[in-house]
Amino acid sequence: MKKIVVAGQLDKEKIAALVKEIAKDQAEITIKEDIQAAMDMKAGLFDYYIGACNTGGGGAIAMPMALYGAVHCTTLSMPGKIKDTAEIKQLVDEGKTVFGFTAQHAEQVIPILVPLLLAK
Amino acid sequence: MLSMEILKFIVIGLLGGLASVLTKRGVAVFHDGLRPIIPEYIEGRMDKKALMATSFALSFGLVIGFGIPASIAASTVASILLIHSVLLGTDIIGTWSPNTKLGDYIAFGVGALYGVLLLVGLGFIVSAFAMLPVNFLPALGEISTPIIVSFAVFPALVVAYQYGFKKGLIVLAIALVAKQIIIKIGAISILDMKIQLNADGMALLISMTLMLILAAREKAKVVEGQAGMSMLVGLFSERVKRIKSNWLLLALTGGIIAAATSMGMLAGDLISLNLLKDGIKPEAALTALAIAIGFIPLVGTTAITTGVYSPAGMKFVFVFGILIGNPIIAFVAGGLMIIAEIFFLERVAILLEKYPGIKACSDHIRTATTKVLEIALLVGGMIAAEKIAPKLGFFFVVGLYLINKTSKKPFVEMALGPIAAIALGIIVNVLYFLNLF
Repeated sequence: MKKIVVAGQLDKEKIAALVKEIAKDQAEITIKEDIQAAMDMKAGLFDYYIGACNTGGGGAIAMPMALYGAVHCTTLSMPGKIKDTAEIKQLVDEGKTVFGFTAQHAEQVIPILVPLLLAK
Repeated sequence: MLSMEILKFIVIGLLGGLASVLTKRGVAVFHDGLRPIIPEYIEGRMDKKALMATSFALSFGLVIGFGIPASIAASTVASILLIHSVLLGTDIIGTWSPNTKLGDYIAFGVGALYGVLLLVGLGFIVSAFAMLPVNFLPALGEISTPIIVSFAVFPALVVAYQYGFKKGLIVLAIALVAKQIIIKIGAISILDMKIQLNADGMALLISMTLMLILAAREKAKVVEGQAGMSMLVGLFSERVKRIKSNWLLLALTGGIIAAATSMGMLAGDLISLNLLKDGIKPEAALTALAIAIGFIPLVGTTAITTGVYSPAGMKFVFVFGILIGNPIIAFVAGGLMIIAEIFFLERVAILLEKYPGIKACSDHIRTATTKVLEIALLVGGMIAAEKIAPKLGFFFVVGLYLINKTSKKPFVEMALGPIAAIALGIIVNVLYFLNLF
């Protein structure tokens, strides 16, 4: 069972619902404030951090970048560009655990990302 | 005495130059997503090449696909630049400048040139459009028709996001009634003085007040061991010090932004840009104030954790710029505002944590204003397009909007209406040459 925390700044409830829809009972999904969620990632309480903001790299993952470490973090979509399945798979395989994207692209990114995380 | 035109170029050049130097030195970047990257580079975990590539990837698309088209669409009357088109560009220029002493001069020179070229380019594009056989500039002005009468919706939307559909609907209804009453009365007389009331301004004032009262009622629940702002402030005190040590350059830049706004050549967000274009100043100032409130937590937290500020600060400088007619006074006020922001940075962040309602409200303000712009500018784009090419306009914009959504590299939704209208204006001119229009 994977533990996923949904933080970041925008649409947390919507994103958590989207993740839940795909992960069903294969993952435990928690919604948190970004500072706390970043600290929890550092403490190893969660496997993955997912968050959104308007740019995919600002509010979405700024706290885990600062508190947990930028090497763990990656941006999957930004205004004007969404990474494709192959690119996202590569990032997951590289061992990234913190994922940011723009709220506008949540419906495109989550169905690609979540199955990859569950399969890992 | 310098003419106003030349003065405008000097001011925009100074802004472009100073902002580029700020970015080159890693003191301030405008893009919120670039801010967390800067310490990675400064502290040696990321090389220059990766930094350059990241800043370019983050900002270039937004300059070309958002800042510039939005500025063009709103510049049918006077050239007003959206701040994004200036400062996202200087983010790139700053990170691309060599990391040497000479790099400062290069950043300043290229940044200044960029600012001047933007202003020249905007004027040039608008006058080039005016010379086309099918002149679509007057029709392009229609893009702002919906936004200037619907911007006051956003506080109701914030309330709906925060406290649910019902409360949101109530605030919307109150705003609507207030607006209609004022439209009906028009003006009030106090002691023989006739005061003209603006319906949208009053609706905005009332719903914003309701929004803030609702949000301020929420008090923080103290949770033992919860990681929060005070911890962050302690953890990153060195980084905050770094921002404070650069207060002078930051204040100068903020002051220039306020002066440029005061001179009517710059706006901090798309709503006030469209209001300013039509000379609706008090409402533009009130909207700019709400948006500045919306940026306190985002700029505040990213600044504290990264030690990198924003050249426009928390965007309060725009409020001063709009309200103060004299650019020199606006410059001083803007500079002082930035200094206040920097020196109270930690205190504001900690205070904000005591009012979680206000913090959540701020985040929702950014979402809500974006949503209002998306729909209002889309409809505005449709109206403009239909006026440019009757029977073709609605077809074109609806089509482009929906097709864009399936793209791997979609345009920012907020900018799609203006982009579509401009594109159609160019297309009908091509069709004209082919004898098809």
